[in-house]
Amino acid sequence: MPYKVRPAVVGCAIRPAITGRDRSLEEIIYDISQAALADAGLTIEDIDGIVVGCNDQFDGRAISVMMASGPTGGVDRDILSTPSSSEHAFVLGALRVASGQFRTQLVVSWSPTEVSSMSEAQRLGADPYFHRALPLDELSAHAMQAGALNHVWPNAWVFAETVAVKNRRHAAVAWPDPSARPAPGKARWPLTDRMTTEPVTGAVAMVLAGADFVAERGFENPAWLRGMGWATEAAFLGDRDLSKAPALEEAARQAYEEAGIKDPAAAFDVVEITDATPYCELIAYDALGLCPREQIAARMAEGWFAKGGKSPVNLSGGVVTFNPVFCTGMIRIAEIAQQIRGKAGAHQVEGARLGLAHAGSGFALQYQSAVILGATPKGDAP
Amino acid sequence: MEQPMELLGRQEVWNIAYDHALGETASYFFTQIRDHGRIFGRRCAQSNRVLVPPRAFSDETLLPTTEWVEVGPGGRIEAFTFVYEQFNGLPPPPYAFGYVLLDGADTALGGYFRNVDLTNPREAAEKLAIGTRVVTKFAEQRKGDVLDFWFEIA
Repeated sequence: MPYKVRPAVVGCAIRPAITGRDRSLEEIIYDISQAALADAGLTIEDIDGIVVGCNDQFDGRAISVMMASGPTGGVDRDILSTPSSSEHAFVLGALRVASGQFRTQLVVSWSPTEVSSMSEAQRLGADPYFHRALPLDELSAHAMQAGALNHVWPNAWVFAETVAVKNRRHAAVAWPDPSARPAPGKARWPLTDRMTTEPVTGAVAMVLAGADFVAERGFENPAWLRGMGWATEAAFLGDRDLSKAPALEEAARQAYEEAGIKDPAAAFDVVEITDATPYCELIAYDALGLCPREQIAARMAEGWFAKGGKSPVNLSGGVVTFNPVFCTGMIRIAEIAQQIRGKAGAHQVEGARLGLAHAGSGFALQYQSAVILGATPKGDAP
Repeated sequence: MEQPMELLGRQEVWNIAYDHALGETASYFFTQIRDHGRIFGRRCAQSNRVLVPPRAFSDETLLPTTEWVEVGPGGRIEAFTFVYEQFNGLPPPPYAFGYVLLDGADTALGGYFRNVDLTNPREAAEKLAIGTRVVTKFAEQRKGDVLDFWFEIA
C-alpha cells in the first residue's frame, strides 16, 4: 500500500535476555523505553504516540497496557496495545507514521518469565471448548509442525539439526559469554532439547519517525521501512497443513510487492527468521522465497545462510539462543533495524543495506509478518 | 563489605472460574459424544467441507454451516507429539496426543492416543506415523468433553 510518509527506525534498544530480580517489570519497561529514546537522541516530548505489544497471561496483569502507560511515557499521551503479537505493535506504529498523522512513534514490547508455568499460560490461548483439555502450548504446536514437515520431507530433521547448529554458532559471536545463554529447552517429539531453549525475560523498543522528521532532525543512519506484510492462519491446528506457512507466503508477497523485490533469494544482506524451532526456519526459507526445499541441501553445503554467506540468517543467534516468547518477533525486526543502522554489535554485517525480518508468533506461528528495512528510503532493491 | 540488598518477590495466585457458554453447535457435539458415543461435524453448503470440531460458520466462506454429518469412528493421524510434563488437570505424563482426520471430515480433531508404549519414543513415533489408520474409542462413563474419547491404532 502507498505510504503518505515513509517511516524509518531511528532508535532501538534490544534486551533479549534479562536476568536477575533487581528490576520489576514496570522498571524493565521504563529502562527499555528510555534506552530507545536515548539511542534516537530524542525525549518523550518528541513522541506523538506509543504502541506496546504485551501479553496479559505472561505479565500477570489484565489489560497489561494499563500499567505500561507510566513506564513508557504514555501518561496523558496516546498509547495503544496489540495483544495479538509484539510484531503487530511494530506494524501498527509504522502504519501510524505512514498515515501522515503522526511524526513519530515509540513501539515497545516485553515478555517476562514470572508465571509459574509458561506452558499453562500459553494453554490459555487455546479455546475452552475443544482444545483446552489438551496439553496445547507453543512447544506442542511447534513439535507437531516439525513432525508434519518430517512427514512430507523425510530429510527435514537433518537440515533442522544443521540450522540449530548454525544459529548456536552465530550466538557464540553475538553473545560470546556462554553463561549469558540459557540452557537447552525441553524435548517434545520430534524436537530434541538442542532445537529449543528455555524461555527468558526480554524487552525491545524502537522509535519510528517519518521522512519529514528524519530530515528535520538529521538522523545519521535511519533504517527505512521498504515493505511489510502480515497475515494470520486458522486458529484450530487441525484446520491447517502444518508443513506449510500460507500466511507467511502472503505476508512476504505483500512486503516484496511494496519493496519492489523480484528475487528475494539474492536480495538481502542480512535476514532474521523466527526460529522458534529450526523447523520454523526451514519452513520460512521456502515461504519467504529464500530457497526452495529442493535446493536447501546445496545452499547449506555452501554456507549460504551462515555468517559470511550470501544471505546470512539469524546472526543474532535467533530464537534458539534467546526466546523471550512474546517479544521475540519484534526483536527479529529490531535486529534487522540495528544491522541497517550499523549498530548490531559483534554480529554486524559490514555495509548491510537491505534486510528482511520474519516475525512469527503463536501456536505453530499462527501470526506471520515480514518486514523489509533498507539504508535508503527506496530505489536500490534488486 | 556491604551486604547485597535483599530483593523480595511476591507470589500471586488467582483462582477464578469461567462458566463458558458452549452454544448450540458445541453443545450438540458434546451431548452426542456423551449420550451416544458418536462424533458429528458441520457441513458448509458452499464449500462442501465438513468441519470437525463443528463450527456454526465456516471461517473460509463466512456462511453459516447447514448440516450435521456423522464422522469417524475411523480416521488417520495428521499430527502427533509426546508430552513428558504434567499439565494442570490433564492425564499424568507421558502421553501422546495430536490430531486425527476422521473419515468423512475435512478438518482434523484433537485428542489423545492410547495403548501405545512410549518407552522408546522412536518406536512409538513409527507406530503413530502421520497417515496411520486409527479408530476412536469412547470411555464407558462420559461427561461431554474431549477426555470422553481417544484414538487407538486400528
